Amino acid sequence: MQSDEIQRTISRMAHEIVEKNGGTANLALVGIRSKGAHLVRRIAGKIKNLNGVAPPVGIIDITPYRDDIEKGGKIAEPRPMEVPVSVDDKTVVLVDDVIYRGRTIRAALDLMGQLGKPRRILVAILVDRGERELPIKADILGKNVRVGDSQRVNVLLQESDGVDQVTVTEDWQRK
Amino acid sequence: MKKRDLISIEDLSNQEIDELFQVADNMLARDRGAGGPKACSGRIMATLFYEPSTRTRLSFESAMQRLGGTVISCPDMKSSSTAKGESIADTARVVSSYADVLVVRHYWDGAVQAMAEYAEVPVINAGDGSHEHPTQTLCDLYTLRKEKGDLKGLTVVICGDLKHGRTIHSLVYALARFGAHVITLAANGMELPQYVIEKLEREYHYSLAPVASDDLHAVVRETDAIYLTPSQPHQLALFTQVDAEIQQRLSKMASGIKFDAFYVTRKQKERIEEGSEGGNGSYPRIGRDFLKERRFKDTVVMHPLPRVDELSQEVDKDRRGIYFKQAAYGVPIRMALLKFLFDSLDKAKSRAGQKKAPLYESPEPIGPRCANANCVTRTENISTRPRFEVLFTGPGGALILKCFYCDHQLKVQYMGHTRSRKYCPYDIALGDTVREWLQHGELAIFDSIKQAEELGYEPYKSGPQRSIMDEAEMREALCRMSEEILKESKDPERLLILGIRTKGTYLAKRIAEELEKRSQKRIEVGEIEIYGAGDDLRSLSPLEGGPSSPSVKDRGVILVDDVIHTGMTVKNAMSIIFKSGRPQSVRLAVLVDRGHREMPVKPNYVGKHIPSSEKERVRVKLREVEQDERDKVVIYSIVSPENSHQRSAPSSNPKADN
Repeated sequence: MQSDEIQRTISRMAHEIVEKNGGTANLALVGIRSKGAHLVRRIAGKIKNLNGVAPPVGIIDITPYRDDIEKGGKIAEPRPMEVPVSVDDKTVVLVDDVIYRGRTIRAALDLMGQLGKPRRILVAILVDRGERELPIKADILGKNVRVGDSQRVNVLLQESDGVDQVTVTEDWQRK
Repeated sequence: MKKRDLISIEDLSNQEIDELFQVADNMLARDRGAGGPKACSGRIMATLFYEPSTRTRLSFESAMQRLGGTVISCPDMKSSSTAKGESIADTARVVSSYADVLVVRHYWDGAVQAMAEYAEVPVINAGDGSHEHPTQTLCDLYTLRKEKGDLKGLTVVICGDLKHGRTIHSLVYALARFGAHVITLAANGMELPQYVIEKLEREYHYSLAPVASDDLHAVVRETDAIYLTPSQPHQLALFTQVDAEIQQRLSKMASGIKFDAFYVTRKQKERIEEGSEGGNGSYPRIGRDFLKERRFKDTVVMHPLPRVDELSQEVDKDRRGIYFKQAAYGVPIRMALLKFLFDSLDKAKSRAGQKKAPLYESPEPIGPRCANANCVTRTENISTRPRFEVLFTGPGGALILKCFYCDHQLKVQYMGHTRSRKYCPYDIALGDTVREWLQHGELAIFDSIKQAEELGYEPYKSGPQRSIMDEAEMREALCRMSEEILKESKDPERLLILGIRTKGTYLAKRIAEELEKRSQKRIEVGEIEIYGAGDDLRSLSPLEGGPSSPSVKDRGVILVDDVIHTGMTVKNAMSIIFKSGRPQSVRLAVLVDRGHREMPVKPNYVGKHIPSSEKERVRVKLREVEQDERDKVVIYSIVSPENSHQRSAPSSNPKADN
């Protein structure tokens, strides 16, 4: 995926979010660190261009909730959102760059439950690489990519990498 | 022993506050070195601080020692007994046998209330989460009174971060109680929360109007000021479009306002990310421009301290800067308060008894829980029982539960009648019925329909039932699902079939039997229990006669439920699974998918898709549960046709039909 395509895809995702929510009322966007944090700001910008109203944006870091890191029996204390928005009674859209096994989103769902009572949670993802291990789905999807287990999907964004690009590399080529 | 606590500024009546101030005057008049009567001689105060503090703790300790009492202190509770997992209740019980009064600061909203319930001695709130900080408010009011005389009719401008500060919210309510006018001058994105303004309107009949005053530009450039005032004398409340004529009237009105005090607050940096929305724009500053402005020549400047840069050092030398005096008053005020609490021992009413409305507590083992994630009831279920004030005055006639601990509000969705075991969605027309049930302790409130059904409640009204799946169809569906599961499982022996109680469990057993028959391997079955949204009553357990709690680690978990609707149950079930270990994968099998998802979950195996309306219920009937019934799935409407059109008709009174 190149720059133009990414721009268009993000626009379409912004449209879909507004459509699925039936407007911008009671909408809150939450980006998952680190790439989701950039994407969520862009989506919020697009929504503002479309509707004149920018939805509130929160950023979460789910690293302490990841199940693939040994916790040593400790329960993670709820970590506050970095940009706090109230999620009570809102349609919360979780935004991330890639969905794969579904574990990140599951952890994010747990965190949302601790931060409040959203009315509904939607998931918006730029790239779905399939091979889910949990019954989680992306409601708003940029692009499906079929890649092997040994391959890696890299989402590069202007904000962090100086360029908008999605590439697939062999795992050993990891940058 | 009967005792008085100070948890909220609302715990003191206006008259009591006046009395406290008189005592504080006496304390202040007393010479520092002089002995004087030692009101607290022989008494011990314990300070328990779960959050750091310098000023509040030291001024309390100073006050106690001045009164001849002694102090024991634990300035860093977080790293002591709580780290070992001691509950608030236990800490309160233990420490109250060591001391005669407890001063507590905690990071959870409402935690000091919880502590007060278990402590044998008076408890003083020195700040709980973002809820209240009543002794700071007493200091603020006392300072204003010393400087300006009567509080009634004063105009106080509060500026800065009005969203995050616990002191600001208590202060605004207190000012309203004494009839002062309040002007808010918020930094961009840090306005006074809507619920605070609503409370001012509801309880103190305050109205608000935007004011455009050029004078205020000496302090802030970008924000509009909002003028909150007892409902007379103008009708300028709540303009959305300000045209030229009104603009003129507003500025005229503003030019008539005498500014008595500026209350400046620090930006609560620790709660805001740099460069985020809400952190931008100019922050109100008091400095040289302010001092030069003629309009402010009699305006005093207050600040709860510590300050950062919103209050210039130049103000320190000016007679109008009274914040160090304000800090110094902390000691006489706290002396007066300690004396007051000791004097009211044995003649006091408890705090719960003082509340006007009776508190609601669910008569069922599970019930609604507070929506505030930082509320003490969300984490401390040993020390707290979720209790609420019931308000019938929500916007649009909504029924509101207000948390007794943290004051957060929750809108009631579903309610039921404990005797008839029926439930229905709340509607404004049911107001009187609800009052009656509440009075008789027969009102059950639910977070969700699922919760109601788990407790055995039936829908109050239901349309005719329609069968959508019979015994043979159900058997066929389960067979097909089992086959699919097996096809996608490399190692059937590593499978763990987890049913969601209660119907999911029966289906899980049936699927496991089917899998055993096909694979000739033993398949383990477990059960997950979930009650609505109640996080605390969930568990993962083996089936009767099974081995000890099944391990999910590296297993292929198949989660089984009868109907998937919003997906909330599945989300909660996954949460439980991941708390007990890390499975290799989780797949979801449901007999019926009826759509209307609110969570991003998707079943892997579905018996039948049944597109349904929101007003319908899909119910799976199983021979194991319902006696003399065959397996089947039925669908019916929970709003009967005649009821949906005339909600207010007498027939909609659920009680009439029981």
